[in-house]
Amino acid sequence: MSLKKNAAWLLLAVLSCPPGGLNAQEQAPPKGLDFPLTQYKLKNGLQVILSEDDSLPLVSVVVAYGVGPIREQPGQSGLAYLMENLMFQGSENISPMQHINYIQRIGGEFNANTAFDKSFFYQTVPSNQLALVLWLESDRMGSLSVTGVNVERAKETLVTEQRQRRSAEPYLESFFLFDEILFPDFVYGHPLLGTEEDLRNITEEDVRSFYRTYYVPNNAVLCITGSLNVPRTKELIARYFETIPRGNDVPDLPAPKLIDAGRLRDSHLKESLAPSPAFHFGYRISHLQTGESYSLRILDILMFRGKGSRLYKRLVKKERVALYLGGGVEERMGLRAFKVFTISNNPVMSDLSRKAIVSEMGKLRTTLVSEAELAKAKDLFKMDYLGRLSTSLQKALFLSEMVLSGNRLEDLAAEYAKYLKVTPVAIISLANRLFAPENAFTLSLATK
Amino acid sequence: MIMRSLTHWKGTCFLAGICVVTFALPALPQEKFRKSPPIPDPFQELRLPLIESATLSNGLTLAVARKASSPLMSLQLVVLAGESDSRPDLPGAASLTANMIGRGTDLLSAGEIEERIESFGGEFAASISLDITVFTFNVLAENLDKALEILSAIVLKASFPEGQMDTVKRTMYYDLFEREKDPEHVAKRQLFRMLFKGHPYQTSIFNEDVIKDVGREDILAFYDRFYRPNNALLVVAGNMNLSTASRKISHYFNTWTARRIDRSLLPSPPPNDREQVAFIDLPQAKDATIVLGNVIFPATSSDYFPFMVLNQVLGGTMGSRLFMNLRESKGYASYAFSGADFFKSCGVFWVRAKVTPEAIRDSVQEVLKEIGPEAVERASSFEIEQAKSFLIGNFPLKNEPLTSFSLEVARNKAFNLGEDHWSQYYENIILVNLERVLATARRFLQLRPVVVIVGNKDLVADTLREFDKVDIYDISGNLRSTINKGVEK
Repeated sequence: MSLKKNAAWLLLAVLSCPPGGLNAQEQAPPKGLDFPLTQYKLKNGLQVILSEDDSLPLVSVVVAYGVGPIREQPGQSGLAYLMENLMFQGSENISPMQHINYIQRIGGEFNANTAFDKSFFYQTVPSNQLALVLWLESDRMGSLSVTGVNVERAKETLVTEQRQRRSAEPYLESFFLFDEILFPDFVYGHPLLGTEEDLRNITEEDVRSFYRTYYVPNNAVLCITGSLNVPRTKELIARYFETIPRGNDVPDLPAPKLIDAGRLRDSHLKESLAPSPAFHFGYRISHLQTGESYSLRILDILMFRGKGSRLYKRLVKKERVALYLGGGVEERMGLRAFKVFTISNNPVMSDLSRKAIVSEMGKLRTTLVSEAELAKAKDLFKMDYLGRLSTSLQKALFLSEMVLSGNRLEDLAAEYAKYLKVTPVAIISLANRLFAPENAFTLSLATK
Repeated sequence: MIMRSLTHWKGTCFLAGICVVTFALPALPQEKFRKSPPIPDPFQELRLPLIESATLSNGLTLAVARKASSPLMSLQLVVLAGESDSRPDLPGAASLTANMIGRGTDLLSAGEIEERIESFGGEFAASISLDITVFTFNVLAENLDKALEILSAIVLKASFPEGQMDTVKRTMYYDLFEREKDPEHVAKRQLFRMLFKGHPYQTSIFNEDVIKDVGREDILAFYDRFYRPNNALLVVAGNMNLSTASRKISHYFNTWTARRIDRSLLPSPPPNDREQVAFIDLPQAKDATIVLGNVIFPATSSDYFPFMVLNQVLGGTMGSRLFMNLRESKGYASYAFSGADFFKSCGVFWVRAKVTPEAIRDSVQEVLKEIGPEAVERASSFEIEQAKSFLIGNFPLKNEPLTSFSLEVARNKAFNLGEDHWSQYYENIILVNLERVLATARRFLQLRPVVVIVGNKDLVADTLREFDKVDIYDISGNLRSTINKGVEK
């Protein structure tokens, strides 16, 4: 069968347009969002996104799978992270380390990343080596080498990493515990790293089954950005990916069990290994109403982004009650949590930090954000958003994440505009709905 | 991240490789084209963004690197003075001066400056190296004027308020103190300390405790002498042409007054030519860190490109000789890489490796063997071509992010590397052949490098005795004792 013929009958739908051009807004998309886009799906369900930019002779290839710890069963925690390691341990035609060697030999760069509900495998290479990357990626999508030796070695690596991290990061356990408090059940709340016991119990068959279920074309996005020729790229994609069989439909996730959190509102970890007292503060956000996600993003920036953010200014600069401050809004398949973490010098400062946070959350609910502060947050949002599109790899990661999360790429410019239209009233309304004092959770860590 | 996971491997790939075919999934027959890697398409030409330059009436050099598609702008204001320009009795003066920029002007307090920058989402940072100081400002293109206005104010009208000195000193102290937890930082600092002994570059290597000795009058003197437009250059990267940039930069920087600056090029420090092994005790370290190196040529040398190819063969990536030998073959190390840092007067070639405590002696020997004349002379044309392929392929990747790209342009200009160094990069690499690589290696890898080992003394004491002589230094670089033929005195 000729390549051309293959390419012709396997493309189900082809869309080629600038991302902002189709919506109600007739104006041109803003600079940074005005890139070309081609999007289609292969017959086996693999979603493909192409975006050309010939300013430099390189291409980035991302293969993103809709899988992460959220798909692990009780007793299997750490399996998705284990898979990230195994994806570099060889496939039918590529032996261990060869993937890495091939990419490095040509001056390319590679990496992988496992998020809560998505796993990304990516590389950037000289543009004339696109076929090599597609060959490598298709081989591990179609025929990963799952062997007892590979699995045991990957498990050992992860157990070592887990032990090192747990001993080097004294606050790590408390983060895991607070996630279990904020997110409602095992599926949403267990840690990416898994537990040593679970990792040790994972079998070769568990890995094989997980791979067959989730690392399939119909649960994946292939995104290529950079200096590419669209017809030639489509040919190559057809050649390497079209004959990979479609997997079974990915099972639906069970609805989250919203367990009663009453007894968890104020928790304490007394036997902490932490060198200084610390505490976690947060809210569950189980659902958002239409348009609220835009306000929440801007609110996130107002509270956390940079040294000019409200919490940093109050706790670190003005009152100097926190030595460290971190946090933000985290999303796990539609469920969100607003999280703050502080480390202080002593229990008194720790308590003052908590009071300052409560006070700042109160201000959000009672006082309108000024236009100047809102404008600053929106500029920071623009920097972050456009920054995520500023290299071929960042763009490919961004686009594949958007598609895996169910967003329409043709709506990007319109979506971007919605963040910039957030008003002070929208923020105060959101804060009032989400951040009632009685809904807050805390977890305090005392030193030994 | 896979890179993190890989650091725990110890030479077990071979066994796994045997099993690949036996257990691979699925069992369906596969297409023939899957069995071997595809042939690459024809190599694509590299068209680097045009870099245009101008000199303003006050002597400020302006370089504009145009990237039309970028919605962001990156500014690099380079002052051609760095830590080696601090007085020998005042190490840290250049760093303190740079860190005080942005902490107050005649009209604005530190807080107001921070507020202003944050008000339009700007990102500002200072970095200080041996020869230059770089102020980086990243901003949305629509906010460029605001960025230039505040940048010119904080640099041209810096008031160095006494009240901010303690804050900045405290921050610098803790930053330096924190970095001392990193064994590689400690080892490299000691390497530089030993290589630059007696040279003005030695002033650049200091510990946190010297910061307190620098006073306001010292940084005022440093600022007054070196922060001049005729001793600076400004790189603007983003969607802007030279004429617009010249107009804008003139508007904001024309009040900056020039002054003659007597600053001659420092001679290159001599390379180390005797066996020196140093050890620093870092009790919390679980593994041993080895950093070794020697002085080489500056980046303006014609040896630069052959040496880059040689470095790639030796230790540029995980596929290079050092990694494959020390980690994959011998299992001594979790990593082993080589590289080079370039300064105005010289370069330093170094090797860094993290090894198990019991393998220190063997690792050092293997590294010396790998970078020694015998092994280097065995380099094949195939290896050289592979190394060139990496460097050519990697060049656009390195320079894709706007900030990296504009920093590279700034470095190129500050070190007078010449247009060809940048615009003819591919050609420069392509012209390197085995003979040139070997000639460069013979010139620069013949002498013994300085070896620095950092680790927990309790864990590595036995291995240290395997060396003929090891000088034991404290973290500040003071010689504390020597192990001679296994006996510590």
